[in-house]
Amino acid sequence: MTDATTPSSVPAMTPLSGKGSLLVQDARTRKRNAAEKRFKAYGVVAISIGMLMLIILVFNIISRGTGAFQQTFVTLEVPLLAEKLDKKGNRDPNDLRKVSTFGYAPLLRTAFEDKIAQNGIETELSPKAMAGILSAGAPAQLRDFVLADPSMIGTTQQFEFLASSRVDGYLKGRVSRDSIANDKNISAEQLDFVDKLIEGGSIEKRFNLAFIIGADSSDARPEAAGMGVSMIGSFFMMLVVLALALPIGVAASIYLEEFAPKNWLTDIIEVNISNLAAVPSIVFGILGLAVFINYMHLPTSAPLVGGLVLTLMTLPTIIISTRASLKAVPPSIRDAALGVGASKMQSVFHHVLPLAAPGILTGTIIGLAQALGETAPLLLIGMVGFIASNPPDSIASGLLDPNSAMPAQIYEWAKRADPAFYERAWGGIIILLVFLITMNTIAVILRRRFERRW
Amino acid sequence: MALSLTGYVVLAVLVLTIAAFFAAKSKAKSTANGDVRLLHSLPNYYGYNAAMFTAVPALGIMLIWLLAQPMMIENSVFKLIPERIVEEGSSRGLVMSDVRRVAEGLDIAVAQGAITDTEADNIRSEARDIRALLGEVGVALGSDVEPEVLFAAQEYRTLSSVGAFWMAVVVLGVAFIGAAVSIVVSKADFRARNTVERGALALLILAASLAIMTTVGIVLSMLFESINFFRLHSWTDFFFGGSWAPNFRGDSDLSILPLLWGTLYISVIALLVAVPIGLFAAIYLSEYAGPKVRSAAKPLLEILAGIPTIVYGLFALLTVGPALVSIFGRGDQGLLGVEWMSGATAVLTAGLVMGIMLIPFVSSLSDDIINAVPQAMRDGSFGLGATQSETIRQVVLPAALPGIVGAVLLAASRAIGETMIVVLGAGAIAKFSLNPLEAMTTITTRIVSQLTGDTDFASPETLVAFALGLTLFVLTLGLNVLALYIVRKYREQYE
Amino acid sequence: MNDMRILERDVDANAIKIAAKGVQVYYGDTHAIKDVDVDIQDKTVTAFIGPSGCGKSTFLRCLNRMNDTIDVARVEGDIRIDGEDIYDKAVDPVQLRAKVGMVFQKPNPFPKSIFDNVAYGPRIHGLAKNKSDLDDIVERALRRAAIWNEVKDRLAAPGTGLSGGQQQRLCIARAVATEPEVLLMDEPCSALDPIATAQVEELIDELRQNYSVVIVTHSMQQAARVSQKTAFFHLGNLVEYGETGQIFTNPEDPRTESYITGRIG
Repeated sequence: MTDATTPSSVPAMTPLSGKGSLLVQDARTRKRNAAEKRFKAYGVVAISIGMLMLIILVFNIISRGTGAFQQTFVTLEVPLLAEKLDKKGNRDPNDLRKVSTFGYAPLLRTAFEDKIAQNGIETELSPKAMAGILSAGAPAQLRDFVLADPSMIGTTQQFEFLASSRVDGYLKGRVSRDSIANDKNISAEQLDFVDKLIEGGSIEKRFNLAFIIGADSSDARPEAAGMGVSMIGSFFMMLVVLALALPIGVAASIYLEEFAPKNWLTDIIEVNISNLAAVPSIVFGILGLAVFINYMHLPTSAPLVGGLVLTLMTLPTIIISTRASLKAVPPSIRDAALGVGASKMQSVFHHVLPLAAPGILTGTIIGLAQALGETAPLLLIGMVGFIASNPPDSIASGLLDPNSAMPAQIYEWAKRADPAFYERAWGGIIILLVFLITMNTIAVILRRRFERRW
Repeated sequence: MALSLTGYVVLAVLVLTIAAFFAAKSKAKSTANGDVRLLHSLPNYYGYNAAMFTAVPALGIMLIWLLAQPMMIENSVFKLIPERIVEEGSSRGLVMSDVRRVAEGLDIAVAQGAITDTEADNIRSEARDIRALLGEVGVALGSDVEPEVLFAAQEYRTLSSVGAFWMAVVVLGVAFIGAAVSIVVSKADFRARNTVERGALALLILAASLAIMTTVGIVLSMLFESINFFRLHSWTDFFFGGSWAPNFRGDSDLSILPLLWGTLYISVIALLVAVPIGLFAAIYLSEYAGPKVRSAAKPLLEILAGIPTIVYGLFALLTVGPALVSIFGRGDQGLLGVEWMSGATAVLTAGLVMGIMLIPFVSSLSDDIINAVPQAMRDGSFGLGATQSETIRQVVLPAALPGIVGAVLLAASRAIGETMIVVLGAGAIAKFSLNPLEAMTTITTRIVSQLTGDTDFASPETLVAFALGLTLFVLTLGLNVLALYIVRKYREQYE
Repeated sequence: MNDMRILERDVDANAIKIAAKGVQVYYGDTHAIKDVDVDIQDKTVTAFIGPSGCGKSTFLRCLNRMNDTIDVARVEGDIRIDGEDIYDKAVDPVQLRAKVGMVFQKPNPFPKSIFDNVAYGPRIHGLAKNKSDLDDIVERALRRAAIWNEVKDRLAAPGTGLSGGQQQRLCIARAVATEPEVLLMDEPCSALDPIATAQVEELIDELRQNYSVVIVTHSMQQAARVSQKTAFFHLGNLVEYGETGQIFTNPEDPRTESYITGRIG
């Protein structure tokens, strides 16, 4: 016996015979079970709060953003009066160009006067106030039309103009007669006028493709703003990220997973990578500003710079997932290749890498999705604060010309402090989320499809 | 112009590379008299070898040259600028950016044919209005060009084009030598594969060390500018001062403490939201939920983590903020009939939304950690008649505590470094206040505001952003290292 | 000397503590326990033996409803302790497990101090009126588990710092501290070295005075050394159940004989 204690010296621990029946819960057990229920309820509550937040968020985005995909248009017959547009009567494009948008504004007033005369609408509004329900871009639209085809001068053409954002808001329920009490841009009389035009079928709300493919607009014309150009900016950034982060990330992972000796240097690299993954994104923006713009003098606001910054940010994600998929390839595959006389490099590139490819691809897509939604570093390299109005015309211009990106465009709209732009920001979020959901779905499908169990 | 020359050089190197590939391949084959089996390596390896020796050294030199040249040119050009201008124009960086802009303008003027190349090198500001000239070609200048600046700009142009010329010569020369040597050695018994593989390994190592270079880049870029900042502004005010009041006419109060207070206050609120909810969600998912609930709820929660922060920012500004105002503000029209909150941006707004964002972060990390607690622990407790909640509270959670602490620290580091939510939801007023319904500002918000818009990299008001960034980096890095260390130790314990 | 005990075993007919009838256990689609009937006596050590995967541990875990914690497990049939059906809806497994303690294959002390490990059960079941009462309970339990002398000076040290044999005795002390009426032991010595095994076996023999002990073991020698009754399981069936001496010296079923003589298992 190793223990000096003998049974006789131990006070007997008699089972409590009076412990009671198992079929009856004693008071303490009831209390404990109540505590158990409460504790479980906390968990249910926590999960429910999480779900509730998700639902509120999604509901919020959809209910506020879908409006951006519809826009109010005013149909109007505009007489393209020759005496206003071409006083010399020679249709010389250079002379026509000299007529500014101010020269076209009177045509719109005339058009409205004709309209009320034809439809018998009674209003006390001046023709100028009537034209005020149109977007400020309407004269420019007329001018572009005339310059594109000067032979139209003298005819009367039917146009569809964007309504001003207030009128658009009125049709979408965002603007009411109460809310415009102090608004200088629109009056209750104008809304009455709009009501009459709606009855006459001249004003209607339609799907607005321009929001998806169009360019951003100035502060005064939220009705014309679109996501298209910033989408192209995001596209070029993703191109840079894909072209750099994927090869570099895969190369780094192959080295660390397959070749690296176990020493302090590799340890440092590994710790470094996991820390880089947790560095705040804004710090990468500072790096981009200091190194790419201030030191290397790469152009400000260029998708190339944005892409470089996002590449550095995405690398850790890609490296971590690539290493996981390389690790999942069993050593027997490597041994088999080495066994037939392949070099280590050949065994990795011919056998391990192809087997790990689906996992690498999944990780890359997820990394790209992360990069696509990232905003903070883009603020510092100047991808906000201007109007991304011109789509790039070549790859070089796509990479080097100033542009915005989807999240930066959303931020820009959010800053403009106008409910009409807020609607566009929510709409932009819908577009951004559609991209993210698509990418993540592809990643999930890839994972399911190619997941291999060894 | 320099860019186009660079482009041509790259193109030439690439053409040379492809040529070397085929030349070496056929050379190797011919030394084996067409019998591929006599070669040490597969024919393509001889090609790769030649391509590698042609492209890699040449492009490497080019890259270093492109990185180093601007710095060297700036150093030599700067000597041409008299002290007088630097003092008036407030700093070296500002003057140098003028010089670059003038040089760039001259380039454009030449390209557009407004002046000839020789004219550009020789015009004097006395003879011609440079500002007007450059204005015509689309380069707007803020002020008239000083003769010294013009001279420096012309020197800058000359040096740049000379540099570019020599770069082209050197790079192409190196490429030629590389191609020639590698083609010559491509004989049957040359171990091409081994060389290529060593080269490939070097590339792999280079890729792996990019992570370190990024970190070094982050630290150095912020360190240099921070040093510049501390030359212009006292470090005691930065670290120990009590107020943040940047003033672009100079003489600003730039202390990090009020910003740090705002940052930490918001982070604490975020953690108060995220940690209990996230932890209980993780406990429920790992200990109570059946496989069905788990497989549905876990990905749904994780969607919250995949939503970009700009979305949360907008949510804070336009939904949560106004909702809070309608509860705590608006006087008699509000829900509580009080007037405690005046605007949508507030510490509470940002904190709540950030908390929502962090819920999945805390829950999925804690879930992993709770799952790592061995089942034997739970069995031991159940076997003694403990209820599930007693087992969780008294056995599982204490065992998982270090890991959970690590997860919370990681979440804290996230919260401190988060930008978009606070930029949109927290406000811009730096102050020490305990009232969560007031707007306050954070380190990240100030970095954004000091570095966007028209920035002057010579004023402390701009440079302070780098010192803030460095502090933020050190702070989050410290938290991350600590958290990862704790989590790693924790995992080892149960492996 | 231990081997002699088989013969001098007192086989007095104690009262029946646990009565199992027609017990079936399914793990998902697998039928793990097939129609087992067994009566376990009070103040007796009953050993369950059989080859790995024969269902002996599964059956043991039915006796304190530990199988409830496994989602896919399903138990049918009738198991009564002191005449009460433990699978009755009114029975709280928590109360049941306080009455039927369990010691596991691998020592699993909680990552707490030695004292807190032993005090855990009494605390959750509210057995101690005050601190000194709790101290007494812990000391008594540690003495019963024959480990008091080894740990009395370091009760605040973590339980995970003990050696394997000490850890297992700590776990036994932990189980004993709740004052159970039945003690289930699932291969308690399989992770221990021979010396520690001897200590634990000695302890089991002493525990018999107060408890009904059920021990699962894959070691026939151990079953022979510590038990008075033995049940032999094979492929989910209870093949034979009887006096330990009887089973080991004169088994009725040829499968039991094959196993004991080492031909199966």
